[in-house]
Amino acid sequence: MHARVEAVAAERPLASPVGLAVGLFLLSEAFLFGSLFIIYYYLRMHTHHWPPEGAEVHLVSGGINTGVLLLSSLTVSLAVGAIQRDRVQAAVAWLGATLGLGALFFGIKMFEWATNTFGPADHAYGSIYYTLTGFHALHVLVGLGIIGALLTRTLKGRFSSRRFLGMELGTLYWHFVDGVWLLVFATIYLVR
Amino acid sequence: MMLSIGLVRGALVGFLAAGVTSEALRLVRASTGTSAGGDLDTSLAILAGVLGYFVGLGAFSYWFRWAAGEEVEEHDEHPHFRSAWHAYLSFNPNHKVIGIQYVVTALLVFLLAGVFALLMRVELTLPGLQFLSYDQYNTLVGLHGLIMLGTIFAGTAGLVNFLLPMMLGARDMAFPRLNALSYWFWPPAAVLLLLTLTGGADSGWTLYPPLSTQPRMTGYTFFMWGFYLVGFSSILGGINFVVTIFKMRAPGMSLWNMPVFAWFTLAMSLLSITVTQFVATSLVTVLLERGMGMGFYNPAKGGNALLFQHLFWAYSHPAVYIFALPTWGVFTELIPVFSRKPLFAYKLTALSAMSIVLVGSIVWGHHLYPAGMEEPLYVPMIVGTELVSVPTGVMFLAWLGTMWMGRMVFPTPALFVVGGIVWFLVGGLTGLPLASAALDLHLNDTMFVVAHFHHTLATFLFSFFAALYYWYPKATGRMYSEAWGKAHFWLLNIGFYAITFGLFRIGILGMRRRVPDYAAGLGWEPWSIAATLGAFLVGISVLILVGNLVASLWQGRRVTGNVWESRSLEWSLVPSPAPAETFLVPPRVVGELYDYAAPRAPAYALAAVAGASGEREGQREVK
Repeated sequence: MHARVEAVAAERPLASPVGLAVGLFLLSEAFLFGSLFIIYYYLRMHTHHWPPEGAEVHLVSGGINTGVLLLSSLTVSLAVGAIQRDRVQAAVAWLGATLGLGALFFGIKMFEWATNTFGPADHAYGSIYYTLTGFHALHVLVGLGIIGALLTRTLKGRFSSRRFLGMELGTLYWHFVDGVWLLVFATIYLVR
Repeated sequence: MMLSIGLVRGALVGFLAAGVTSEALRLVRASTGTSAGGDLDTSLAILAGVLGYFVGLGAFSYWFRWAAGEEVEEHDEHPHFRSAWHAYLSFNPNHKVIGIQYVVTALLVFLLAGVFALLMRVELTLPGLQFLSYDQYNTLVGLHGLIMLGTIFAGTAGLVNFLLPMMLGARDMAFPRLNALSYWFWPPAAVLLLLTLTGGADSGWTLYPPLSTQPRMTGYTFFMWGFYLVGFSSILGGINFVVTIFKMRAPGMSLWNMPVFAWFTLAMSLLSITVTQFVATSLVTVLLERGMGMGFYNPAKGGNALLFQHLFWAYSHPAVYIFALPTWGVFTELIPVFSRKPLFAYKLTALSAMSIVLVGSIVWGHHLYPAGMEEPLYVPMIVGTELVSVPTGVMFLAWLGTMWMGRMVFPTPALFVVGGIVWFLVGGLTGLPLASAALDLHLNDTMFVVAHFHHTLATFLFSFFAALYYWYPKATGRMYSEAWGKAHFWLLNIGFYAITFGLFRIGILGMRRRVPDYAAGLGWEPWSIAATLGAFLVGISVLILVGNLVASLWQGRRVTGNVWESRSLEWSLVPSPAPAETFLVPPRVVGELYDYAAPRAPAYALAAVAGASGEREGQREVK
């Protein structure tokens, strides 16, 4: 019974009950970020000088962070690929690398916040800038918690080539957070 | 030991965490010389308190063990509790317990919001200020509104939790622990909403800035966090309902042959999963504006107050359908049983419910007509608003078509169903003048609008009461008192119509809402007095309901089987009162659910062999 359920799940993780639940949760999360983007573009539409004078963002560190997160999406996929071939050591290494990249992202983000020329209370632009990037960073932190839990479970031998649904769905969340970052990056650093 | 009760532990740890956090923040502020954090510190203390409460309750222990790498049972047995107190006041994943928890919570907060309503009505009865200040009155307005909406959330969740798994022939929800987690958001939410009274919040439940971002009244932080927790609960619950409907149906039960109530639940859940995030964002941004001086809605900082109205109504109009869909679901589910006829236009009704999800999401702009909005939005909003009448019309057709030429019987639940449909009709008809822009300019923000939306929302109340009476024997194994149930119905009707017709009249005469005072000599007094007397009648009728439900636990006639001769699984295959475990082995669906007309129609479903729904149910057909 158990093996059959997992075999099905391994083919189509979103078709399993928990996979469907994760999918619906991510749909809800998409609406959360969607509403933040609506705030951004609504304010932008109604403001003459957007962003206001003197509000410059760190394009370079934003670009580096994009690279970091894309790389982490790759490493986390490699972790799933490794566990599907029962290579536990490799999976642990890739998950560890993902943790490191996520932490690096968060560190660079903190650096940006600390050195920005504007604060959250200065103007509406600052408010939505910090709210949008802050909510995203919060999701990165939750994602790090999930990756950490997956790492612990891998170390304790809870995942294998026959049982990796939790790993797949956990990494799905990470990919989602990465995807949201691409939109945040495009909005705040490129479109402006 | 009291400490073995989850709620007691949760409350202890929660209040401790909130207290320690607020004290620590005070010390930090004092030592660094920064000015008091005010609302921000309140928010942080609330957050710490809520997290502490969940940890103390034991809500997270499964996920903690999972994260720590332990081997966790994915589908463990329902845990055993020492006593009923332990079972009902602890983190309990059994869907029937959760259903009862929700319903009792709904009734409690309903009584509370009802008391607030009575206070407001008494204040409004005569010209001049009686005993409430403007601030107190407006705080009550917001609390009455939000807590009543909370009643609907909790009441709906209670019905769905108790019924959905049994209706689908499933043992429990798809995720029992997540289900329990959704419920346990409620006690902290209720506490936070009550704490609003400490500092007041004068904007009503709609929380429009710039009023809600003023620091003058300090209850807002509690109010919004309470609101936020309810929203979170509704999202998590919605996810669970959708997965249960898609993954847990008994073998042989196609989507087109499941109880229509499940369709309405599905539509409602899809809405709550998605649009709730809009209101969550609007609350968070107002909290950030209050706590950190942000400027989303502050024109001096380049913000825009209209943005809030967009976000708020992008949720709160679809939320009307989150309330209405389960209401209609109960009506549609019960009418075939009491008409003894197949449900008319099952598929169209189900599709109408689903279409509401789409159409209902693009109509929020009609709340912004007076405030004004972006030019290109007007036409889609007007068209969307008009379009909603099509699926609702289909539902009326289905109800009437099912009743038509049927031999309807009228025990209390059937009375509430028909009464509720009439309420909905009057609510819809009084919406017509509001849809006309010319009349709306006169009527908007008057008591006419208040009476109108109470008509539509009271429809939920009628469906909830119908459901309470209808499934009461299923939950308790006792029959409620028919006589008192009918007394409840008629008193509620007379009282509530007195309120709304009084308010319709003084609204047309020009009485504004959210003002606790009015001038004498305008001819408003008789209508106002009628409304207040009506409110007391409603109050008495609700006491009759509660008395009936409580007293029947001991004095009601014992029942065991299919009280209403329903073909639905929860009646035909589950004994009354429903045992803690049902459908350990799923039944097999072989017939049509609403086949009431044919006298010898085959059963809807066959119980699985041995022990599917209690020891006595073997392989046998149940009509």
